[in-house]
Amino acid sequence: MTTATLDGITVPPRSRRIWRVMRLHLAAPSVFLGIPWIIVGMAFFVSVAIAVLIALNGGQATGQRYSWAVLSPQWYLVVVGVQAVGLTFPFALGFGVTRRDFWLGTAALFTLLSLVNAAAYTILLQVERATDHWWTGTHMFDSLWYGLGPWYHDFFSTFALQMFVFFIGAATTTLYMRWRVVGVIAASAVVVVLLLAAAVVVTAVDGWSALADLLATATIPGIFTVVLATALLCAVGGYLVIRKATPRS
Amino acid sequence: MSTHDTGPVVRARGLTKTYGSFTALDAVDLTFEANRIYGLLGRNGAGKTTAMQLLTGQIFPDGGTVEVFGRTPAEHADVLSRICFIAESQKYPDQFRPSHVFASAPWFFPNWDEALAAELIAEFRVPLGRPIKKLSRGQLSAVGVIVGLASRAPLTFFDEPYLGLDAVARATFYDRLLADVAEHPRTIVLSTHLIDEVSNLIEHVVLVDRGRILIDADAEEVRGSATTVVGTRGTVEAFVTGRDVIGRDGIGGLASVTFTGPLHPTERREARELGLELAPVSLQQLVVHLTGTEIPTEKEVVS
Repeated sequence: MTTATLDGITVPPRSRRIWRVMRLHLAAPSVFLGIPWIIVGMAFFVSVAIAVLIALNGGQATGQRYSWAVLSPQWYLVVVGVQAVGLTFPFALGFGVTRRDFWLGTAALFTLLSLVNAAAYTILLQVERATDHWWTGTHMFDSLWYGLGPWYHDFFSTFALQMFVFFIGAATTTLYMRWRVVGVIAASAVVVVLLLAAAVVVTAVDGWSALADLLATATIPGIFTVVLATALLCAVGGYLVIRKATPRS
Repeated sequence: MSTHDTGPVVRARGLTKTYGSFTALDAVDLTFEANRIYGLLGRNGAGKTTAMQLLTGQIFPDGGTVEVFGRTPAEHADVLSRICFIAESQKYPDQFRPSHVFASAPWFFPNWDEALAAELIAEFRVPLGRPIKKLSRGQLSAVGVIVGLASRAPLTFFDEPYLGLDAVARATFYDRLLADVAEHPRTIVLSTHLIDEVSNLIEHVVLVDRGRILIDADAEEVRGSATTVVGTRGTVEAFVTGRDVIGRDGIGGLASVTFTGPLHPTERREARELGLELAPVSLQQLVVHLTGTEIPTEKEVVS
């Protein structure tokens, strides 16, 4: 792949080109690493504070699994996915990155960070349990669907959710980068029409009760397999769309 | 200086870009030879940035062809590795500071010169740790100029590099560009509407107006190509009869007419004998005459 040339320019192999896109995303490390974990940290301290307050007032925090604090950084990470395409993509084009390499590098980083975050959450959940919920009865990570099944359910669900969050933001923004507002509105319309069509079909075959039964029997891995599949659909769709996307001038 | 041939660096034929009903570039032909400094001149909205975006593969043409280093630039890593283009309205990643720009640039530009970058950062007084969003227009331009110079890309685009730069910084850019290009020959394409500032820098003029090319010629040739004649109206009009007049001006009985084309020594003597004054036309004056006189070019910039 490497070709030496007259002007001394060597084109690095694809693996290096993907790696440098990943590094570019992490050049200002607060975006992908700093801010999300600051959000988790703040949510953690608020959760502990609330648990302590409940305990001080003679209440019982243990067993409360309804805190959404565990999901706190996800909203921000949707924005990170949006900005990866909205801001870093035009910048990378100026640095001579191809659209293909940009998307491959971005997808590689999303996958890597989803794995890292999944591992971190899985470990933190086990630590939470081992410390008797941080010695205060705080349910920060052992909450919602987390900790209901074996540890690898927690790992898989975090990974799938994280992938979904990154790719939904990034893929939607590729629509904007290619067709501007029209593209985003058209895509939203298509999604709404598809959902309505699905509802019509379910009604036509009188399948609502069957659907309810199906959802009632859905398992955590089952639900998050659908989430991960949606994320991968966004990954493939984003790749196809970004190949002809143009920065706004 | 391409891989395979020594032909032109850029070759565009019938290059067209439309946005809805607006034609940004209209069937433009362009050829850029290696190791020259090109000035892409024209008013705001003339199509300069559109041309640069097409040549760097940032946008796709609606008609015509563009070859850079022998092939279409878009999506070709071998071509894009040889190009540097920091747009005037360049977007930067969230949370970016100039330090992040200069730290990541060497990963993408194989010829990046760290020492040169460090010198330029000091000379332009770029605040490395300040968020990009908080930089002044001039500091933002300086970041682009430093990347453009230190990248030493075989084909480097400067999109309005002078915007917001103070006089010292402009002189620094001018001196540094000439010195560095002399040492490391490469092709430079510089777009600007501050024409007087660059007229001594550029070797080849491409004047764009309303998506078309009005002038594509050697800068030396362009500078001597037009003359203004001043005198009493009747004499002036008689003198310019049959010439290619591009501008007329006058007060009372006095007239000032600008025309293009060569002027023979005998004609100069004739003018003197008629009591007419002949003056060479600067590049900027020529551009003003050719692209409309309603707004002098400088006034658009200072903001």
